[in-house]
Amino acid sequence: MKIARLLLIASLVLVIGSLAIIPATAQDGMTEFVYAHSGPIRPMDAHSHWYGSTHHLLNLYYDCLIWRAADGSGYVPQAAHAWENVDPTTWRFHLREGATFHNGEPVDAEAVKWNIDRVRHPIGDIPLYQQWAFVKEVVVVDDLTVDIISNAPHAYFENDVSYNGCELLPPDYFEEVGQEEFNRNPVGSGPYTLAELSENDRYVFEAWDDYHSGRPEVDRVIYQVIPEPSAQVAALLAGQVDLIKGVPAPDRATIEGADGLSLLTESGNRMYHYYARVDTTSGAFPETFPDYEPATLDINVRKAITHALDRHLLAEVHGSASARLARVCSYYPEGFADKYADPDVISEWYDPDKAKEYLAAAGYADGEGPTLYLDTPVVGRGGSAKEVAEVAAALLEDVGFTVDLTVRDASAFAVEVQRSGNNRELMLAALGCGPALLPLFYQCDWSAVAYSVCDEDWDAIADAIQVTIPLDERLELWEQWWEHYIDLTQTITLFEITDVMALNSAEFDFTPRKDGWMTFRDLKLADM
Amino acid sequence: MRGFFISRLVQLCVTMFIISVVVFFILRLSGDPILVVAPDFFSQEQIEQMRKFWGFDKPLGEQYLTFVTKAITGDFGKSYLAKRPAMELILERLGYTWMLAAAAAAIGLTIAIPLGILSALKRNSLLDLIITSLSSLGTAMPSFWLGLMLIIIFSVYLRMLPAFGALEPKAIIMPSVTLGVGMAARLSRMTRSAMLEVLNQDYVRTAHSKGLLRQTVVMRHALRNALIPIVTVFGLQLGWLLGGSVVVESVFSWPGLGRLMIDSISVRDNTVVQAGLLFFALSFILINYVIDVLYIMLDPRIRFQ
Repeated sequence: MKIARLLLIASLVLVIGSLAIIPATAQDGMTEFVYAHSGPIRPMDAHSHWYGSTHHLLNLYYDCLIWRAADGSGYVPQAAHAWENVDPTTWRFHLREGATFHNGEPVDAEAVKWNIDRVRHPIGDIPLYQQWAFVKEVVVVDDLTVDIISNAPHAYFENDVSYNGCELLPPDYFEEVGQEEFNRNPVGSGPYTLAELSENDRYVFEAWDDYHSGRPEVDRVIYQVIPEPSAQVAALLAGQVDLIKGVPAPDRATIEGADGLSLLTESGNRMYHYYARVDTTSGAFPETFPDYEPATLDINVRKAITHALDRHLLAEVHGSASARLARVCSYYPEGFADKYADPDVISEWYDPDKAKEYLAAAGYADGEGPTLYLDTPVVGRGGSAKEVAEVAAALLEDVGFTVDLTVRDASAFAVEVQRSGNNRELMLAALGCGPALLPLFYQCDWSAVAYSVCDEDWDAIADAIQVTIPLDERLELWEQWWEHYIDLTQTITLFEITDVMALNSAEFDFTPRKDGWMTFRDLKLADM
Repeated sequence: MRGFFISRLVQLCVTMFIISVVVFFILRLSGDPILVVAPDFFSQEQIEQMRKFWGFDKPLGEQYLTFVTKAITGDFGKSYLAKRPAMELILERLGYTWMLAAAAAAIGLTIAIPLGILSALKRNSLLDLIITSLSSLGTAMPSFWLGLMLIIIFSVYLRMLPAFGALEPKAIIMPSVTLGVGMAARLSRMTRSAMLEVLNQDYVRTAHSKGLLRQTVVMRHALRNALIPIVTVFGLQLGWLLGGSVVVESVFSWPGLGRLMIDSISVRDNTVVQAGLLFFALSFILINYVIDVLYIMLDPRIRFQ
């Protein structure tokens, strides 16, 4: 009996003793906004990773030179109060006088140069340099003026300098403490300081009084990692978080009926596509399937696939998406792919008879199409990729294909199919859709990693797009580029994802950003 | 006794060595972590560059030797993703996991032993039926579902308890109850069957016939002898809890080891996974070690053997 008592007492002592590590919750009357982040969250060294959802949070903490306007209408100043295109390859940035990092270190031209030089060089494990390869040189003009010189005229310069890796870190502090310590105790330059950091669990940001553009309206913004969607919904309904993203479809009615809560929708800046195998040399394909010839090498088979898929139906199955034919999201302002987003055009595109004609042209008799191997993860962004794939398989079988569907968990899918290039005919790709990088993904010298089609004419158009500054000329090039995209049918675009969010609208006024970033510099208190 | 401790220490070293080999090579076989860490648009050359940076370009045997020599000193390397030492990440979460495991164990023991004894003493009665039914329910109920139900009742409707995290002391109540209920269900069944077996023994009948109080017979003569299987099950359950109760930690966003492991496994952050698995293995072995010592205290015959 002593033993049982001993075990019980030991357990109780351990519980009581260890409760001391739980911090007391602040009850200080500050306005506090809690966002349920699905996690994981990566380190605070913003240059050391490319994970978008972490950069959302880092945007509160670090300034960039300039930033993308929330409504997609252009760019807004951050560390730089003004900027200009001095000549076709030189952009000049004028920094704010007196601006500092949270530790008092100046945000000056030398600091900007240190940051951009760090992010654009392949040193150690900084994986963002490819994105910054357009920069040839950073020149300090004076303390508050810095020039960024690109290798060639760059049509998407402003977009690229305001994307992942643009965050300004304090050079002196970083060099003094090193990366490891910086990740434990970071120092930023943005409107919020970091009051609490529990790695990949909880990040408490507090408004910074000395921010150059004024103190943010909400005192405290918390990113709380809550991995389970159902637990996120419960926490919202319990009043313990203020915003969740990716609201499960069955919970939407409950949230809409709850006092003080409302649903918001906005483009998720991500799309679903099926990548079709168009070569047998890239990735690990030659080793894994040495004697296999995918049916999709034949362009007629690919065209049969694209006409066999009812995109409106697939978007409906996903739960929150809009059908598309071209890989560009509604966020991007140039509007060059409008005609491929037209619902009527997309409805007409779904044409099983045409799909059968293409199959016949590829040499397959009616009802005797080839076998397609279709790989998909269980869950894709914002909905179920598995159900989408099952319906797609049924549609393809309707026109005569035989579909061999393989569903893997996200991690296995990423390593075994996506990254190693082991897909045979079709694989799901849930990808971004910005025009700045898009043409690069389809160029011949990228084909080794992206197993895409290589077409010299298409390549030349992509090169021209990157260096053509006048918008009307660039739009003409885009028209031609999309025609190749649709015609070559390597990427079979299905739909654009719409994020469904739920907000504590009784206390906060939040307008989702058009680029899908969950960052809260512009968050306001609701009018009471 | 000294021989016992020395032999157990040797066993511990051998087991840890075998586990380190298995963990290291299985993780290497499960896929290339660099493919997860590198961006989609990286070329083969860039991937090779990263592989070299992290030391994956060296032969496996050499990688293993480096890993073991460093691991002995507590250095498991840097997390690929957090860019901080793996052991530091483990230690940050350890306190939370211990706290949750201890609270769940306290709940489990407090419920299980009295109910198990009562059930055995009132065998085939209505009370026995109720207790055994409840323990079957507790065993069958998925912790995921129970956790969500508790959140809905106590957080959403009653607004008494926090739905997530470890931000205030009362945050531990729901996750520990969720874990403790399952543990109590399994332990009470074990207590009942062990007690039933002991209560029919001659020495218990003798104790009764000597005129001892029923309470004394049950607590001192019967329960003590029934404790060996109960302690065994308790030890296994505790080992499982220390290994990080992954599902419950996810449902309640409890910042423990289980969640760290799930996050690390899903992105193949092998340094953290290796450190975590070896830590779990060590916890299990040490718990078994303590259980062995408890056996000796409970049953002197084991000492003589």
